[in-house]
Amino acid sequence: MIKFIPLINILILILFSFIILITKKEKNVKLMSFASNIITFLLSILLLTRVLLEDFIVLNLGKNNSLLGIQFYIGSSEAVISLTFTFVMLMILWFSNSSVKKEVSEIRISFFYILINILLASLLGVIYSNDLFNSYVFIEVSTLSACGLIILKDKKENIKATVKYLIMSTIGSGLVLMAIAYIYSITGHLNITNINEVIVSSYQSHQNAVLIILGLFTVGLGIKSAVFPLHSWLPDAHSSAPTPASAALSALVIKVYVFMLIKILFRMFTYEIVNSFIIMDIILLLGSMGMIFGSIMAIFQKELKRMIAYSSVAQMGYIVFGIGLGTISGTAIATYHIIGHAVTKSSLFLISGLMIEKTSSKKIEDLKGIGREMPITLGLFTLGAFSMVGIPILPGFISKWYLSLACIEVGRVPLILIILASSLLNVLYYFPIIINGFFGNENLDGKIYKSKKIELSRLIPIFFLVLSIILVGAFSSKLINLF
Amino acid sequence: MIKKDIILKEVGKIIIPLVQIFGIYIIVNGHLSSGGGFSGGTVLASSLIIMHLIYGEAYVEKNIKKETLIKFISISLIFYAVVKGYSFLSDVYNLPHPALGPVGKIFSAGFILYLNIVLGILVASIFYIIFSIFISKEV
Amino acid sequence: MEIFTENYFETGAIILFGIGFVTLMLHSNLIKKIIGMNIMDTAIFLFFISKGYVTNKEAPIVVDITKNPDSYINPVPSALMLTGIVVAVTTTAFALALTIKLYKHYNTIDLEKILEMREES
Repeated sequence: MIKFIPLINILILILFSFIILITKKEKNVKLMSFASNIITFLLSILLLTRVLLEDFIVLNLGKNNSLLGIQFYIGSSEAVISLTFTFVMLMILWFSNSSVKKEVSEIRISFFYILINILLASLLGVIYSNDLFNSYVFIEVSTLSACGLIILKDKKENIKATVKYLIMSTIGSGLVLMAIAYIYSITGHLNITNINEVIVSSYQSHQNAVLIILGLFTVGLGIKSAVFPLHSWLPDAHSSAPTPASAALSALVIKVYVFMLIKILFRMFTYEIVNSFIIMDIILLLGSMGMIFGSIMAIFQKELKRMIAYSSVAQMGYIVFGIGLGTISGTAIATYHIIGHAVTKSSLFLISGLMIEKTSSKKIEDLKGIGREMPITLGLFTLGAFSMVGIPILPGFISKWYLSLACIEVGRVPLILIILASSLLNVLYYFPIIINGFFGNENLDGKIYKSKKIELSRLIPIFFLVLSIILVGAFSSKLINLF
Repeated sequence: MIKKDIILKEVGKIIIPLVQIFGIYIIVNGHLSSGGGFSGGTVLASSLIIMHLIYGEAYVEKNIKKETLIKFISISLIFYAVVKGYSFLSDVYNLPHPALGPVGKIFSAGFILYLNIVLGILVASIFYIIFSIFISKEV
Repeated sequence: MEIFTENYFETGAIILFGIGFVTLMLHSNLIKKIIGMNIMDTAIFLFFISKGYVTNKEAPIVVDITKNPDSYINPVPSALMLTGIVVAVTTTAFALALTIKLYKHYNTIDLEKILEMREES
């Protein structure tokens, strides 16, 4: 029965979201969304324990017809990622319990919960599915629900950001669909394991087609995950959405597409085939440029949320860089960074939401001296920022350390300089907030100690997230060996 | 807005039921020939839209309220999700399911017929609600 | 040249995709961009469905007697693209709703003018 957990997860989330559609009272709405997410989280824990015993689970829907049927494949990396996503979403929902009212108008609150459930269901669907067309359907659903989450807040900048996001996402989905059509025409299968067998035996005769397919998949999924040149939709979209929504978007949504790219590149076309094409060098190049340019643009931003959004672009550059190295250790690091960044970035966004709400302004210069007013909050922000920059024990440092080791293993040592450079740039834009918040006498003038304190009950979810950052860092070696 | 022309009304009385029957035909024939829930639902929705355009908004509001349509949508969605899950489980565990009759008859192919009907109602309601929101300009 | 005329379905699909993409990028009117998006999606559907065509076989509809499965075309791509068409319609509806909202706020649907107005405000 445990085999059916992926299906039950997705079905429960979708079912509850439809029930929320006819619920009238707000209290019931929040209760139901909470209940569905807690159930999903507990089931993911069960799934992870089973996968650790059995090494992977394959679930066939429909009568064992792997030629045309839907298939879910859960290996160790999928189980861990799904656990992380359900946990982060649970914490975001707990936080949004008190902060949704302030940013979204009354009648639309139930839509927020509906869209969050559908978003999580579709993200889990993309992670679990082993079938190309099934994942395409779930990708489309996640795009539409993410756009819906941005438009909940009714201001001018939201509408423009959503239009940009929608059009660029549609182009991306179109390219992915074309790549799926190409693969279907070459191999005649849509299931990843079947395609793997056919491609390994016959790719020599289709060199050009395989190159085109790899290119289409990279560009298509790259548009949706904000890989360097195609990231222009990200700062607007993630900075203008309501806070819990932008936490969910930045921490969860963009990761899923790059995870699907990992699945396609390394499970469908094996490591040897992919390394013999020039596409890996291009991915490496785009990843490194993303790391540097994302950080440079983040330094020049004046609004807090836009700066954190540009930092997301830089972190996606790390993940793409890890993929571009083309070895098993590179991919393991990329998966580890997905998990580490998910918990870190969501806590950063939620904290910044609190700070913006209490100072009623979005600009960074209005946050000077806030350390005296909200000491605990800024302390948590400091922890998150340390992880981004690369202080030891925290997951950011571990990703950078192992990335450098993987670089040496491949034999391209100069790339370590890029990692170092981007870490230094990260310092340049995170530390001014912390320093101006805690120190500097002219900043602290006139601010009363703990005047803008937040009730502890709202900080509890952020506590949990930050705690998990530390835990993820501590258990990092165990996690990496799993992948 | 639209002048209530008498030719339109009389022709509408005859044409709209025909359009609806055509839509139901497309839905029910989903598993035998081309069609199915989506296209049949669109045709049904277009019949509702024509009714809205010819007879004015008040007439349609009196007979089909928006809250009823939203209840239709949620009930059909819940039904769809439950039946889909049930169909997946019933294939593995040999639970009872409707007839897998001979090819070419209407009551064949298990769940597809009922899912198509539910899908048709769903699509028709959704398209009509989108249209009424667009035309009242309060997006 | 023979490659282009032999597989005329695929050639037509790629040309349509190009037309749709250029329309999406070059025009600044939002409605024209949405039309371009639709043309692009339709081209991809044409590309996929044409992969299921086998020459001289007929459509998979049972009229009176079931024939041998070999005498029908491949129905899998058509069934898959049904989902794709629904997704394209939903995206178009969403984009059109956003266009109406933009018009209410800015009183123009020209994307360049809207971006300029943003820089000023």
